[in-house]
Amino acid sequence: MRCDLSDRVALVTGAAGAIGSAIAKRLSDNGAAVVVADIDIGGAERVAAGLRNAMACALDIRNAQSVDAAIASVSERYGRLDILVNNAGVNTLAHRVTIDEFPPEEWDRITGIDLDGLYIMSRAALAPMLAAGRGGRIVNIASVVGLAAMRLQSPFVAAKAAIVHLTRSMAIELGAKGILTNAIAPGSVMTALTAKLFYNDDGKFAGRTQEFLAHVPLGRPARPEEIAEAVLFLASPAASYINGQVLAVDGGWTTGYMM
Amino acid sequence: MEIDLAGAAITLDGETNPIVDAVLAALRANGGHVVEGVPPRAAADILLISCPLRSGTKAGDPRSLYADARKAAVTMTERGGRIIFLISAVAGMPMRRHPRFSMENASILAGMRALAMEFGPRILVNAVGFGAVEDDTIVSGDKAMLSHTPVGRAGRIDEAVAAVLFFCDPLNSYTTGQMLGVDGGWAAGYGRNF
Repeated sequence: MRCDLSDRVALVTGAAGAIGSAIAKRLSDNGAAVVVADIDIGGAERVAAGLRNAMACALDIRNAQSVDAAIASVSERYGRLDILVNNAGVNTLAHRVTIDEFPPEEWDRITGIDLDGLYIMSRAALAPMLAAGRGGRIVNIASVVGLAAMRLQSPFVAAKAAIVHLTRSMAIELGAKGILTNAIAPGSVMTALTAKLFYNDDGKFAGRTQEFLAHVPLGRPARPEEIAEAVLFLASPAASYINGQVLAVDGGWTTGYMM
Repeated sequence: MEIDLAGAAITLDGETNPIVDAVLAALRANGGHVVEGVPPRAAADILLISCPLRSGTKAGDPRSLYADARKAAVTMTERGGRIIFLISAVAGMPMRRHPRFSMENASILAGMRALAMEFGPRILVNAVGFGAVEDDTIVSGDKAMLSHTPVGRAGRIDEAVAAVLFFCDPLNSYTTGQMLGVDGGWAAGYGRNF
């Protein structure tokens, strides 16, 4: 789709990563000024350099001071904030264990970024949105595991399920103030990182990948651009009566059991 | 918003109403062309299945709708395409005063999801669930919905149309089996301060 975001300023967290950078690019391509925010400032700078009107911003969403500084820098540069995309998040590959064995420090790390960080970021970003009185958009990046639980990643599942419901809570609190909150729940997405997990050395899908893709009606992982397309729609002026929705962009994975 | 339908053939099964009229006009304006008849009698890239949207009406027989949609999907499989159900948001949030309408819509939604699983990856099947939408009069849902709608107003026709365009957009290529509510937050939770 194409839309006109030429007077809008968007902040994307985790924007140095594959999905975040695709979101930043899609918003930028449709005219938005984009704040490319990431804890990896070098990565953020590289992404921002490829966009039309963007600034890179160092951001640790666990740290309120870092978040406040980021919002202040956005206000200084652009004087407004219209769209917040809460994309930053982490999971674990090192601790694929059941909850009885899950290390508490790893639980704190994952929920601290995925859930607490989203709260800290949203709270800070809402201040300039509410003060300006122009309304705004928040798009939270949840996950299909927030809709259908999966094994061996309990803190990620818990945090993403919380984001799903927090999205609805934000929607009914902020809707009257003209701020619409929605979420995208991506399924598997092919990135440089996940490609190592999905493929064998011979370029064919690994056995475990084939196993889970058998549960996905579209039979393949998503491209980051496909997630970005849904974010663009929810951030666009056209989506002005969509609020509190959690849209799975998952190739049909959570539609039902493929049995 | 603009999308590029590149000459896609569009067909309609079901009733017309102001939302459907506006959807068809928008699809034409974005490069689609509307053909008469429905698959298997007509070739189509996009099939719109339009159900009654006003609370208290009959949404239709879900079994017949499913059977017709499945026949169409079989026909559409070779060239691929999209099927979009236009239903009420009560599919996901039943209303006490409208049990039959709620049940029918929920059942249509379940059928939509089953079709998405059966006909992926060739056909993407989705639904738009409309809350209270009005032009001069209510064309979807009812006025009672507004007391629970966080944005505090009914939707406009153009806002209803946008979600349908989103599901028709060739760039929106990884979404299937989903209902996107266009309801201002009506179904998100209790829009009141308790």
